[in-house]
Amino acid sequence: MAQNAERVLDHFELFRGPEYQQMLENKKKMFENPRDPAEVERIREWTKTREYRDKNFAREALTINPAKACQPLGAVFASVGFEGTLPFVHGSQGCVAYYRSHLSRHFKEPTSCVSSSMTEDAAVFGGLNNMIDGLANSYNMYKPKMIAVSTTCMAEVIGDDLNAFIKTSKEKGSVPADLDVPFAHTPAFVGSHVTGYDNAIKGILEHFWDGKAGTAPKLERKPNDKVNFIGGFDGYAVGNLREIKRIFEVMGIQYTVLADNADVFDTPTDGEFRMYDGGTSLEDAANAIHAKATISMQQWCTEKTLPFIAEHGQEVVSFNYPLGVSATDEFLMALSRITGKEIPDELARERGRLVDAIADSNAHIHGKKFAIYGDPDVCHGLAAFLLELGAEPTHVLSTNGNKAWQEKMEALFASSPFGQNCHAYPGRDLWHLRSLLFTEPVDFLIGNTYGKYLERDTGTPLIRIGFPVFDRHHHHRSPVWGYQGGLNVLIKILDKIFDEFDKNANIPGKTDYSFDIIR
Amino acid sequence: MSSLSATLQDIFNEPGCAKNANKSDVERKKGCTKQPQPGAAAGGCAFDGAKIALQPFTDVAHLIHGPIACEGNSWDNRGAASSGASIWRTSFTTDMTETDVVFGGEKRLYNAIKEIIGKYKPAAVFVYQTCVPAMIGDDIDIVCKAASRKFRKPVIPINAPGFVGSKNLGNKLAGEALLEHVIGTEEPDYTTPYDINMIGEYNLSGELWQIKPLLDELGIRILSCISGDGRYHEVASSHRARAAMLVCSKSMINVARRMEERYCIPFFEGSFYGIQDSSASLREIAQLLVRRGAPEELIGRTEAVIAREEARAWAAIRQYKPRFAGKRALLITGGVKSWSVVAALQEAGLELVGTSVKKSTEEDKERIKELMGLDAHMIEDISAREMYKMLKDARADIMLSGGKSQFVALKAAMPWLDINQERSHAYLGYVGIVKLVEEIDKALFNPIWEQLRQPAPWDTVCKNTHSDPMGQAAESASHPTPAERARRSKRICFCKRVDLGTLEDAIRSHGLTTVREIRQKTNASGGCGACKSRIRHILASSRESSAPAVLDAAE
Repeated sequence: MAQNAERVLDHFELFRGPEYQQMLENKKKMFENPRDPAEVERIREWTKTREYRDKNFAREALTINPAKACQPLGAVFASVGFEGTLPFVHGSQGCVAYYRSHLSRHFKEPTSCVSSSMTEDAAVFGGLNNMIDGLANSYNMYKPKMIAVSTTCMAEVIGDDLNAFIKTSKEKGSVPADLDVPFAHTPAFVGSHVTGYDNAIKGILEHFWDGKAGTAPKLERKPNDKVNFIGGFDGYAVGNLREIKRIFEVMGIQYTVLADNADVFDTPTDGEFRMYDGGTSLEDAANAIHAKATISMQQWCTEKTLPFIAEHGQEVVSFNYPLGVSATDEFLMALSRITGKEIPDELARERGRLVDAIADSNAHIHGKKFAIYGDPDVCHGLAAFLLELGAEPTHVLSTNGNKAWQEKMEALFASSPFGQNCHAYPGRDLWHLRSLLFTEPVDFLIGNTYGKYLERDTGTPLIRIGFPVFDRHHHHRSPVWGYQGGLNVLIKILDKIFDEFDKNANIPGKTDYSFDIIR
Repeated sequence: MSSLSATLQDIFNEPGCAKNANKSDVERKKGCTKQPQPGAAAGGCAFDGAKIALQPFTDVAHLIHGPIACEGNSWDNRGAASSGASIWRTSFTTDMTETDVVFGGEKRLYNAIKEIIGKYKPAAVFVYQTCVPAMIGDDIDIVCKAASRKFRKPVIPINAPGFVGSKNLGNKLAGEALLEHVIGTEEPDYTTPYDINMIGEYNLSGELWQIKPLLDELGIRILSCISGDGRYHEVASSHRARAAMLVCSKSMINVARRMEERYCIPFFEGSFYGIQDSSASLREIAQLLVRRGAPEELIGRTEAVIAREEARAWAAIRQYKPRFAGKRALLITGGVKSWSVVAALQEAGLELVGTSVKKSTEEDKERIKELMGLDAHMIEDISAREMYKMLKDARADIMLSGGKSQFVALKAAMPWLDINQERSHAYLGYVGIVKLVEEIDKALFNPIWEQLRQPAPWDTVCKNTHSDPMGQAAESASHPTPAERARRSKRICFCKRVDLGTLEDAIRSHGLTTVREIRQKTNASGGCGACKSRIRHILASSRESSAPAVLDAAE
């Protein structure tokens, strides 16, 4: 036997033992209807061809390896960014378990979120009782300051009316009448997690600004000099939001970060469990109506929220996940214009350092081809940064990108000599990307953890930037926004490039004449 | 066995060195390199020079005798490529401690040699002397001799402690050590009439391998390369070569000249940087070999290879010429590369606004003048601050230099390309020049330079760092003659020494239209022929200039 009580092996080693190998082989032979390996190989090769790519792109019904998640995930992500807020998803509990695990596996932190645990009867008779019981239980058990309700598909299909349900629940006394219970309808069959983020933020602002579902007077806007900030759905929220707050502070700007989940996704280990931590105070969320302007870092994460805010009389400005020098310049200049505050020397020096770092290393990135996939704004930000570095973002694919996104990407490509042979692919999945990588190979792939299959299949080295990143730890704690963040992205890219140099030059006596100490 | 000071005198007397030959006895005595100025930033020491010159011998264990300072900061820092052995990249040092300094380090050195030979069985051990053991009187010559005898293995003392002088002096001392202890001590397995030595070629980034296939194709064997991708046995038997090419004259001229003296191996100084130089060097190798008895037909075969390779390289470079139109480069580098790179860049259509000549010989400088015309901006010794100012003033579009000046270029917001040892691309031969041009293209057109040159976009006060172009134009208009004279004095044919003015006058007064007519009238392109394309260019531009202008000039 390969292992015994004295010598316990982990899965890396155990199943390589002869008895397991024998067992697996027999199983394959006897039960798995094995095919001729040559035939399997032939098909494998065929999937790399142009012919297969055409068939692949002709796909109509099937999505294979999607690079998007569902609305309620985005809603939960946004909701935990408010002070003492418990996200409550009306629908089946299985979905909610997914959101919690998805976020926790990325942020390496517990994610507090409950569901109304709808079952078959609820699906038939409506989920009102689940809502009443659910709100009462979660309020009593977890003592939230606010419960932010969103929905799964199940509740949406039967058409549960959240507004009425919450009202009824309060009437029945499951939660105090003055408890803030904003809501958002977030069916997964519409949009993606970025849509859910948008809906949740809009639902919460609507609740506070427009009279708490008819239970309070609507707020009257009294303009002040503050600026609201919305980050959008962001795997780097922890590092990014802290960096943005630092920038606001060095510029001397009064600000409100809406959905500030930097602390709840990064609680210290000191013997105290924090179910809630940090977050935008409910008072600030309400007072955000008085702000001079609202800045969104991700256009496609705030498509409904920004018009809602604009209707209340504020200036709204949106960006597409600004990364790198020019995009950060634009962001800071917008801040400066809106607030009348100067960009301080400290930031100018950081800018100079980023430019210096790029100049030091540009030769290694220049002319390299990249494939990028991810959320629409993240893709745009990365592509713009690559163009700035003299690289070519040859394939940019966003499963949750739409036609408007494609047009914006094409305008970006047209703005740079390095974008001439680049294409944007909205609504496509990672199996499409596989075909693209085989038929039009690139040097590097940028995407989330799921890209490791593409890396293995196509041999294109993966640079992990995106959400979710499950198999590398703690990157979300460093910012990618601001000049400091740009430096972090630059380093991530360069590290992979140099790793590849070493990997391709490490066979002793064969290729190691290039296994150099200095790069 | 000569003492260190005697060896130094020998080097200072090097008759093959043109710079040296022009000196008075007193000057010569002072030494052939400038002593570093206390308080000024300076380059490496003699030990470093010796080590980098010999380190590329790949099957040799290089043992540095001294405290950790000498090896600890520098090991494996040479991007010379090896086609096999890798022991040269392993760092060996005696790592002397206080006790060794008090009681002497010879025993430790002997034991270190013993351990290397016992553990690694290298082809040879090179032992490098450094300042501390030299000062306390460790005699590495004696230790090496004893170890050599005891272990029946070549153990070669390299006597170039840092304090004796500059890096370049160290290169030469390394050469002296080879001459004294290595060359001629073994016999090659066989010889051919096509055996050559390459001296002062270090195979940085594997660049020698860009030329080697052409030599292989011609049947020319590199009996020994000193020292890139070199083997001990090869250099020990290198005295049987028929001819030699001296690649870096600054570092190894003493080796080439002494081998000619001792073993009658004729050498020429050449370079494989750039198309013209590559062709000239191949020609010269073939001619030398034929002169030494190789069959005549080698010359014909060589010409065929040259024609084929030139055509390919030109075709590849031509694509870049329009992109490089009007682009200016500044070259800050040392050693042989300055003039040969100048030639290469001009071929690519770049204009050179200046080149450093710190390590160049008088002969090198003459060549630069030939290539760049009388207006050649040659820079002797340059501090970082001066370099920065030059970059700002010269308004060049790119600087090519070693890694040390990189940061100056960047602070001056100039694109920069590494052409010294830490570069990651090989620029030798016909393939290499195409690669160099490709890299220059990348560096020139990288979008980051725009960012670098502009102040942060929110800076309302635009700091105009450039000098006033109108002012410049006015200045040049008020002194038309020197500028025109400089332009006309630009050398077009280097072999026959024909300048641009002569060609233009000939074209105008005789109405010449072909390269052949020009050769008949002026002798230009009658040598290597590499200037043909330049002449074609001049012909084309003279056709473009309007007819009345020609008449005016004729009248």
